[in-house]
Amino acid sequence: MTANPKGPANMTQPNPTKTGMIDFRGVNKWFGALNVLKDITLSVKPREVVVVCGPSGSGKSTLIRCINGLETIRDGDLVVDGQRVGDPATNMTQLRTEIGFVFQSFNLYPHKTALENVTLAPIHVRKIPRAEAEHAGRELLAKVGLADKVNAYPAQLSGGQQQRVAIARCLGMRPKIMLFDEPTSALDPEMISEVLDVMVAVAEEGMTMMVVTHEMGFARKVAQRVVFMDAGAIVESGTPDEFFSHPKTDRSRAFLSKILRH
Amino acid sequence: MLENFSFRTIVEYLPLFGQGLVTTVWLSALSFVGALVVGIVLCAMNLQRGWLFRAPAKAYIDAVRATPLLAQLYFLYFGLPRVGFVLPELVVGILALSLNSGAYIAEIIRAGILSIPRGQVEASVASGMTYAQRMRLVVLPQAFKVTIPPLLGQAIVLVKDSALLSLISVAELTRAGQLLASDRFMPAEGFLTIAAFYLLLYYGLKGLAVVSSRWLGSAGARA
Ligand SMILES: Nc1ncnc2c1ncn2[C@@H]1O[C@H](COP(=O)(O)OP(=O)(O)O)[C@@H](O)[C@H]1O
Ligand SMILES: [Mg+2]
Repeated sequence: MTANPKGPANMTQPNPTKTGMIDFRGVNKWFGALNVLKDITLSVKPREVVVVCGPSGSGKSTLIRCINGLETIRDGDLVVDGQRVGDPATNMTQLRTEIGFVFQSFNLYPHKTALENVTLAPIHVRKIPRAEAEHAGRELLAKVGLADKVNAYPAQLSGGQQQRVAIARCLGMRPKIMLFDEPTSALDPEMISEVLDVMVAVAEEGMTMMVVTHEMGFARKVAQRVVFMDAGAIVESGTPDEFFSHPKTDRSRAFLSKILRH
Repeated sequence: MLENFSFRTIVEYLPLFGQGLVTTVWLSALSFVGALVVGIVLCAMNLQRGWLFRAPAKAYIDAVRATPLLAQLYFLYFGLPRVGFVLPELVVGILALSLNSGAYIAEIIRAGILSIPRGQVEASVASGMTYAQRMRLVVLPQAFKVTIPPLLGQAIVLVKDSALLSLISVAELTRAGQLLASDRFMPAEGFLTIAAFYLLLYYGLKGLAVVSSRWLGSAGARA
């Protein structure tokens, strides 16, 4: 693991003083004239689970999409697993293999079975032999409770099942970091817990995670920290208990009263 | 007119029609292959981010779509010799059909590629795939399926367009009809017969479309 927090200080990377697995330092991003990320400074330690919440349009998706370079930042530093994102010296394709990303809309490959969805990148990107990748893929699908859906196509699966395949697809790459962008927001209520259960299991195995979600139960159960964003800035950050029981700002109180009402 | 419609003359000219049909089939097939190559290259250029490749591809596609095929055919037929390329009529014809259909095929393929939801592309980027892997494993297999029906539609158009090659005296199907019309002054017989043959080709390609869509439908996902 290159991300040992007490690692040697003489690393070849540009930021030898790093301590986090994900380090935002003074990050700014614009979409045209819109300052979507405002001077973000945030450090996520290895094995830490951070929940990001905030009103719609506050920049949560943009924040985590910067981590694997789906969005590019304008200024500031973003160092992930010891590598500076956006630096020409950083091999982004390689860095992305260490970062799983779970989308709100699953984004499975519809022309591939569940197992093929899980093994595609391991075989072609990680260059794992097919038999080995398939064996691991079956185990992962069993782990997310879909042993009987190995040969099903996405269109034959419910939303909750598709999202569990999507999580298995990320785990198949054996990533160091998992990012989740509102993984349960597109699901019918009765399917939310089956996905959250899988996420809890992943967290309990020590995965470094950043999760955009409003699921307080999940946050209380596994998150070490909740970060509240509003209008592109991190407004508040604390333990789940501090944040949900004793919000410090008017904006977080207003936000919490909204998500608690339903 | 029908009372002196001469089936005998049609039968007499059948070998000529047969040869014309065979020529139409293989020159259309060759032109379609050429058009696929032209189309893939144009589409690849058109999907680049920088305008260096995109601008000429777009200009070419617009120019082809905005001008009559006949004008393009004559442009090559009379223009190529003036810049030193003296080619047989048949080659000029195949070239013209390839270059013309290629512009339409480029747009068909582009529409197929753009029909793949952005989220899937993002998922493949996020998993560390390179551009080439993304195309090969995720985008093209799905785009291929949606492009088959419009590609066969374009093939039907191409077969009909190949009739224009009769004007540069390529001995294809329409040329055979013209010969009957002018040798015996029997335009009704000549052009009705070729119409029947074109209909035959049309149903052949349509059958292919049905079979392929059934095959593609069973060969993968439904989504
Ligand atoms: N590709 C884009 N182009 C322009 N504006 C965008 C784009 N993506 C997001 N935005 C804007 O950036 C802001 C933050 O978006 P987002 O990160 O998706 O917020 P959240 O995930 O918190 O709802 C919103 O105002 C949104 O409209
Ligand atoms: Mg969002």
